[in-house]
Amino acid sequence: MNRQEFEQRKSAEWSNLDLRIKGLEGRGPAVEPEKIPGMFRRVCHDLALAQYRMYGSLICDRLNSLSIRGYRLIHRSKGGFGECSIQFVFNTFPNSLRREWKLFVVSSLVFWIPFFLMWWSASLEIAWVQAILGPEMMMQVEGMYGKDADTVEYLRGEHGANFQMFTHYIKNNVGIDFKLFAGGILYGIGTLFFLVFNGLYIGAVFGYVDYAGDPEKLLTFVAGHSSFELLGMIVVGMAGLKVGFALLAPGRLSRAQSLTQAGRYALPLLIGGALMTGLAAVVEGFWSAQAISGNVKYGVGIFFWVLHLVYFLFVGRGQRGA
Amino acid sequence: MGKLERRLDTLQTVELAEGMEIHLRIAGPFLRLYAYLLDLVVMIAAVILIWIVIGISSFALGGNVAVGLINLALFVLLWFYPVFFEVSRKGATPGKMVLGLRVVNEAGGTLTFGASMVRNFVRIVEMIFPFLPLFSFLNPRFQRLGDLAAGSLVVYTRDRQDPVYLGPPALDSIPVNVALTREERAAIISFRHRSGNWSEARRAELGNHLNSLTGQAGSKGVATIVGMAHWLEDHS
Repeated sequence: MNRQEFEQRKSAEWSNLDLRIKGLEGRGPAVEPEKIPGMFRRVCHDLALAQYRMYGSLICDRLNSLSIRGYRLIHRSKGGFGECSIQFVFNTFPNSLRREWKLFVVSSLVFWIPFFLMWWSASLEIAWVQAILGPEMMMQVEGMYGKDADTVEYLRGEHGANFQMFTHYIKNNVGIDFKLFAGGILYGIGTLFFLVFNGLYIGAVFGYVDYAGDPEKLLTFVAGHSSFELLGMIVVGMAGLKVGFALLAPGRLSRAQSLTQAGRYALPLLIGGALMTGLAAVVEGFWSAQAISGNVKYGVGIFFWVLHLVYFLFVGRGQRGA
Repeated sequence: MGKLERRLDTLQTVELAEGMEIHLRIAGPFLRLYAYLLDLVVMIAAVILIWIVIGISSFALGGNVAVGLINLALFVLLWFYPVFFEVSRKGATPGKMVLGLRVVNEAGGTLTFGASMVRNFVRIVEMIFPFLPLFSFLNPRFQRLGDLAAGSLVVYTRDRQDPVYLGPPALDSIPVNVALTREERAAIISFRHRSGNWSEARRAELGNHLNSLTGQAGSKGVATIVGMAHWLEDHS
């Protein structure tokens, strides 16, 4: 069979498939999709034949683009959103956390060591804390947690204030998470920088409140959302470090391949960590500033920390890690 | 099988599960820069629109709620504008759509939500260090760092822009007595298929490279090659 014959015999079916695909792509009248997979396979076969027999670019280009469009339609991963989310929360995310437990240790240490050092330094010498916070932030901290500051509950009394703070936390904190992850591409340096910086800064706030304010106010405020926010940041830090280590030590892969692979493994950590930070914003916006006794707030805070511990250690264990 | 060591085109060959190969046409950095600038314009317009709409409705909602809504809208816009478009059916942000580009995974399919997130979040680092995107020039598939991390490619969706004009019809079918590799036969056949785009002089110039096969030069050589292509197409 030569080229003309081939084209004559098949052309009608190709146009037919083209029409159907257009319909499903939303660029033509609606069509019944049942026949498309079979027709797609026949076109794949035709393309392979045309390429092998070298029927020329006219036919090959046409079949090539038809195959690509068909492939996109048929191999679309369209799992139900609900099922995917449940799978993610109860299997993928906790399992990838446990698989990367070494990164969790690294990421935690990189955050907690500067945090406690900074906090502790306030009791010896306040100058370090002051240098990190700067005068504006010190005034702000005193305004919120100072000995004679208005309580947070009072500041949030205005209509919509809780909602505004919630969105503020989403924009800031989840944004920081994303930057934390992106910094991993610089051989992990960006991630390390943000983790250390956050450790120092948050530690400095705690130290300064110890020094000049009322620690009770700060602790009752942060108790509820602390677990979500700090662990979320550490988990996103793991994702960034994963990418960074993949570039530093690609092993037997090329750096590009190693990066692609690490991106796949880091993804659940990024999404999970960002979701935790989002939850932190919900708690911080709508719960942490409620006028409720300190003991209840401490209790809720401890409950959430234990919940995280249980979740990290036990949820999804024994299921096939996705 | 005479397979060339390194091809000069931007076609990316991918083998699919269906057992055949498709060719993705990779888009270069310049076109992608244009697409990015277009998207920047769209985003700025969207920011202005958000300010106006929420600013007006703030009289009904109250100041705090309005500020909150602006926060949320900006957050979603800045981080997820490219993601939502790339996982959509079109697979491209408006800037890329206008230029006929599309973001795909390495098999030519649509990106997953997560892969698109990775791809676009890495951009923040590339904006801080603007020399980083230049590394895509070193990559044979023009992938920037975000593309490498997400395993994504940017390809053309529109068909090839230069229309294919068939060359002059073959006057007669000339048998080829030399054993040719597949690449060589393909080259002769595509010479015929593409020669319609070239001037007479250009045809002759390219045809002269096949002196050793045709034994003729100039337009006579061209006619011989076309004849050989005709014969090859009938006998393959």
